[in-house]
Amino acid sequence: MKNLVLLFFTLTFSPFNVASEDEHSDMHDFMAHLLTPASEAIWESSGYVITEEGEFSLEPTNEEEWERVLYGAKVITESASLLSIPSRSKNRNEWIVFAGLLEGVGQKAFEAAEKKDANALFEIGAELYQVCVACHQVYMNE
Amino acid sequence: MRNIFSYVVFLILFSFSYTIYGHHAFTAEFDANAPINITGKVVKVEWINPHAWVHVEVLKESKATIWMVEGGTPNTLIRNGLTKNSIKPGTVINVRGYQSKGKLCLPRCIANGRDITFPDGSKVFMGSSGTGAPRDGSDPKER
Repeated sequence: MKNLVLLFFTLTFSPFNVASEDEHSDMHDFMAHLLTPASEAIWESSGYVITEEGEFSLEPTNEEEWERVLYGAKVITESASLLSIPSRSKNRNEWIVFAGLLEGVGQKAFEAAEKKDANALFEIGAELYQVCVACHQVYMNE
Repeated sequence: MRNIFSYVVFLILFSFSYTIYGHHAFTAEFDANAPINITGKVVKVEWINPHAWVHVEVLKESKATIWMVEGGTPNTLIRNGLTKNSIKPGTVINVRGYQSKGKLCLPRCIANGRDITFPDGSKVFMGSSGTGAPRDGSDPKER
């Protein structure tokens, strides 16, 4: 019984109420299982690893690897719509703006992947990170 | 007494599960109270998004330790005057930054880099702005 009372007080008076925990879980899952893997498909498909043995490009080398990039780009593009649904956007104008920027970057990544343009993908990867950081700066600690 | 202890443990765990969410922020991964100042030879460079990584071999009492130092995006570094050709393997550099919260260095030490100094004395900001890193004067944009 005492344990139940303690649990009640913990849930009621903890600084993180149940509603905000749900919201953070929703966004955490969205980022961890949808947007982050999609972004990694872009980031891991361009750039270089340089050692004393030489310089190695991370550019996809076959159709399967390019397909992973296309898939990631499409997920990023479509994530904009999922982020913009009322329960997530909560009428926050900047939120919608960031979602729009994400959609634009996703489309550019898709086009670059269709052309198999790893250099463009590298530039777009940096742009994608800038959009992520800009949005996190505003909303991550809310 | 045991119940109070359980309550405190529960609160700590509950708080911790919340802070994990901020995994991209500097403060979630790096320790602002653990500055590093290392000098060594570049052995590997990962010129990738969203962060470039410079692997530095630091010799101390004949023992070599590899430090993986996180930088900004390659594009940011290029704008700051740092290219993949200026930090080729073999280049000896000095790096100032902050160590990761996990300090066991297993298998490698990890740090967030703030600036790189080259043998000719030139210094380049290698971090990213707006990540929550300490305002230590390294970032020209914070002045």
